[in-house]
Amino acid sequence: MLKDFLDYLSSEARGAAVWRVVISFGSMLLVWQVLTSTIVTNRLLLVPPAEVFEAFVGEIRSGAMWSNAWATCLAVGTSFPLSVLVGVLIGLILASSRALSLMGGPMLSALNSVPIIALAPLFIAWLGLGFASKFVLVMLVSVFPVVLTTEAGLRAADKHLIETARSFNATRAQIFTTVTLPYALPFIVSGVRVAWARALVGIVVAEFFGSFAGFGYAVMAAGQTFDTATLLAYVIVLGAMGLFGSMLFQWLEGRLAPWRKE
Amino acid sequence: MTAQPILEIEDVGKTFKRRDKTEVVALRDINLDVPKGAFVSIVGASGSGKSTLLRIIDGLIESDSGRVKVNGKVVTKPGRDRAVVFQHDSLLPWKTVIQNVAYGLTLAGVKWKDAAKTAQGFIDLAGLSGFETHFPHQLSGGMRQRVNVARGLAVDPDILLLDEPFAALDAQTREIMQTELLRIWRQSGKTVILITHQIDEAVFLSDEVVVFSARPGTVRERIAIPLARPRDLDIKRSQDFVQLVDRIWKLIEEEVRASAAS
Repeated sequence: MLKDFLDYLSSEARGAAVWRVVISFGSMLLVWQVLTSTIVTNRLLLVPPAEVFEAFVGEIRSGAMWSNAWATCLAVGTSFPLSVLVGVLIGLILASSRALSLMGGPMLSALNSVPIIALAPLFIAWLGLGFASKFVLVMLVSVFPVVLTTEAGLRAADKHLIETARSFNATRAQIFTTVTLPYALPFIVSGVRVAWARALVGIVVAEFFGSFAGFGYAVMAAGQTFDTATLLAYVIVLGAMGLFGSMLFQWLEGRLAPWRKE
Repeated sequence: MTAQPILEIEDVGKTFKRRDKTEVVALRDINLDVPKGAFVSIVGASGSGKSTLLRIIDGLIESDSGRVKVNGKVVTKPGRDRAVVFQHDSLLPWKTVIQNVAYGLTLAGVKWKDAAKTAQGFIDLAGLSGFETHFPHQLSGGMRQRVNVARGLAVDPDILLLDEPFAALDAQTREIMQTELLRIWRQSGKTVILITHQIDEAVFLSDEVVVFSARPGTVRERIAIPLARPRDLDIKRSQDFVQLVDRIWKLIEEEVRASAAS
């Protein structure tokens, strides 16, 4: 009985996916509820899920949710696509030139490992509070994964497929558009997925220190007034953004490279 | 019959430089000509440069000495008059069967509608009808090689170059593919050059089997195969067939022993 249900849950059926989400979130909410009503009864530390939901509704009613969403989405919505574009372009350039790749490679790896987030105070000092510093910070934290996976993806192209294209007298441009690029696309999207997670961290940190609006700002403000319910409401919104982005890019990866799944 | 051979190989030699700067002579003084419409196989021990010669004929790599002429014209690069079917999986995984078969045509600038129409003809010829919109990963190994052969034929080459096309297939599938290849060859009237390890495959399919010496690859012996056509698999049990296979096998064995001793 239980085994049958577990087998169903691990199947590919659409209903199974819904059940997995319901069970996973439901049990978390249950633990949360039990925790707040038995062990952690101090409302400053943790509030029950229902209160978080109330706070969420309250923020929507007052309009604070929308103004914060606008500030955050404007910054991420402009800087993230641009960083993907720039990342792909730099990746293309690096993949097409061995000299540049050799010179830039170590630098890029180093920059990729530096927690750029730590530079947030510096950018805020340079660019002031608000849009500009957020824009630049998000851009910087999310561009490197895209650069690295683009270059790796373009270089990974199957030598046999390239030889096949050459045997059909393909030009360099044709080899790029029909072999190298399609081969690299799923790599690039996986880089974009990583970049999206980083971009969200970037925007929150930038808004912690350098703004008067946005989800990060709201989390900070709620924290400073010990409004734990509102704080958690915004964290959950951010979590949802991360989750949906990740799901979207994962789906896209699967669509672009269906042959890898089987 | 003094008609000009479709393929003339004159004094072709090729030397590769290894990473440690030592040189390996892959091919030396290869002379061979192939009449139009013939089926010629090249057999030899591993490392006898068979595949290298095939790539030189196609124009994928340059020979160091000598020259290759197709229809009297010296080969400098791949062209529409030749097509290769590789051993390795060289189908584009993101393209459907029909898109793969039409690949060479679209590279040559043929409009999709016309390319698809031509491709459909070769899909039918290769026994792939009904699989036009399948992706390579949904096909068996044997079917993928049918797609490969169909793709080679679709560009209407004068010479089809086959580089161990059935090596990755199991024994039963290979035998079926051999008879299929004979049928396709008969119907298309192409000249075929086949590189293979399988001596019985070479004898079964060919008008002439060229035995290569071990490294450096030279033409050790050219053996005419006088077996009557059309041939079916029963012929593999005939006395003549077995004797021919045995004779070639002994030649190659001598070569392998000689090169192992040196």
